[in-house]
Amino acid sequence: MLNYIWISLIAIGIFVAVGNDVRDEIQNTYRNGVPLAAQVEVRQYTSGTGQRWEGVLVIPAATFNSFYSIESGSAEVHQPVTITTLETGKSSITLPIGDTTPVLWKEMVKGGSAKDKLSGKVFDMRVSQDNRMAQLMFEIEPIHFVKMKAVTQAALDIAGTAVNIALGLIGIMALWLGVMKVAEEAGLLKVLTRLLTPITRRLFPDIPSDHPAVGAIIMNVAANMLGLSNAATPLGLKAMEELNKLNPKIGTATNAMVTFLAINTGGLVLIPATAIAVRATIGSANPGIIIGTSIVGAGCATVAGVIASKLLQRLPRYNKTEVNNG
Amino acid sequence: MAEVLRDIINIIAVFAIPLILLVFLGWGFFKKVKVYEVFVEGAKDGFNTAIRIIPYLVAMLVAIAIFRASGAMELLTTVIAPITSLFGMPPETLPMAIMRPLSGSGSLGIMTELMKTHGPDSLIGVMASTMYGSSETTFYVLAVYFGAANIKNTRHAVPVGIIADVVGMLAAVWIVNLIWK
Repeated sequence: MLNYIWISLIAIGIFVAVGNDVRDEIQNTYRNGVPLAAQVEVRQYTSGTGQRWEGVLVIPAATFNSFYSIESGSAEVHQPVTITTLETGKSSITLPIGDTTPVLWKEMVKGGSAKDKLSGKVFDMRVSQDNRMAQLMFEIEPIHFVKMKAVTQAALDIAGTAVNIALGLIGIMALWLGVMKVAEEAGLLKVLTRLLTPITRRLFPDIPSDHPAVGAIIMNVAANMLGLSNAATPLGLKAMEELNKLNPKIGTATNAMVTFLAINTGGLVLIPATAIAVRATIGSANPGIIIGTSIVGAGCATVAGVIASKLLQRLPRYNKTEVNNG
Repeated sequence: MAEVLRDIINIIAVFAIPLILLVFLGWGFFKKVKVYEVFVEGAKDGFNTAIRIIPYLVAMLVAIAIFRASGAMELLTTVIAPITSLFGMPPETLPMAIMRPLSGSGSLGIMTELMKTHGPDSLIGVMASTMYGSSETTFYVLAVYFGAANIKNTRHAVPVGIIADVVGMLAAVWIVNLIWK
């Protein structure tokens, strides 16, 4: 099943990207070759071999939205801008991408020539006497294949990110594996395991109840519930390695592994700290209101996952690859 | 109420890990385990595990990144929004429900955006944050956990994960609509 989902994500992604780019070309979504009028509030003016204006580009919301045919577009555009005029009289415009940049322009950068700015040509620029204001017509460089370029960039970037995530795990993995080893030798895990045997024996009938895997599973679930995700992942990986020692067919998931994953992906947390923190930052009057609802949601997900794992493991199509029920 | 809650979260965040370290290592010392040597012995495996998951992580994250960057999400949203509306899910929260199992940072971004646009205490804001708290990043967990055990044939793990996610999202929609009325 993972094979199908994996290739679907990639294939759908690429086909949709091509489709979107073709549509953008046909509709000229990015208005290639069409000039746009704007006003510049000049903040700094320098002249040497050429002339250079720095300031803020202002475009009224209605003008911007009708130019790009956006229905619910941005508010009035206030965009940092640099305009340079060479001695030859040729003028160019540079729009560095920042917080105030309209969403559409941020999107367009992905299809442009530079990573963090849009550039273009300037026609017909009229500067006021005191060099404080300017009226101009400008045309942004041709923008093509925004989605395809974005897909390429995303794929290459994330491959690097994946390695960084894994490398970032090394230290924290080492810490928790070390602690777990001490707890194991001291018999602490055995005590924990024995306490919860009635539950774990039902959930994982295939694991001997004093196996180290049970201890790691309990620790992982506890860390998850307390929201200690830094500790939960290493403990979960340790549990998977322990479970794998009981695996009669290397490379194929066992029933216990899938049940364990169901508990983990359900994401049952006593206090969803991340969501609460974001709510508080945005100014919620009651950030904690989601504690109860999240427990219901995640509880249902976890129970459904465990039941589904128990039911689906009996299906012949998932059993034929299994040597025994181990 | 909110104050008390924040205190509890802070206390857990500050004390949990030092306390676990103290109890576990202290107990070991008490039981005459050579704590330092045993710790180092166990910690050695950290490197191998982390390295082992890299190929699984690259495979999974690249596919999800391509899907996200292509704009396929918007397309999918328009196609299935009429169906999910029948269950009382506001169409605005649908991208959240789809993104949650795929990407942690992606769904965090969507949740933040929805709350900024519609307000954190609106129906949409509460539902989006409940959805965030109602599931884990299933495909990331699948890749990392199975990577650690070198599992390539995942058997029924993916359908199980998807069933859990769908149930979690629908439960979130149901409970938020329930308390909202």
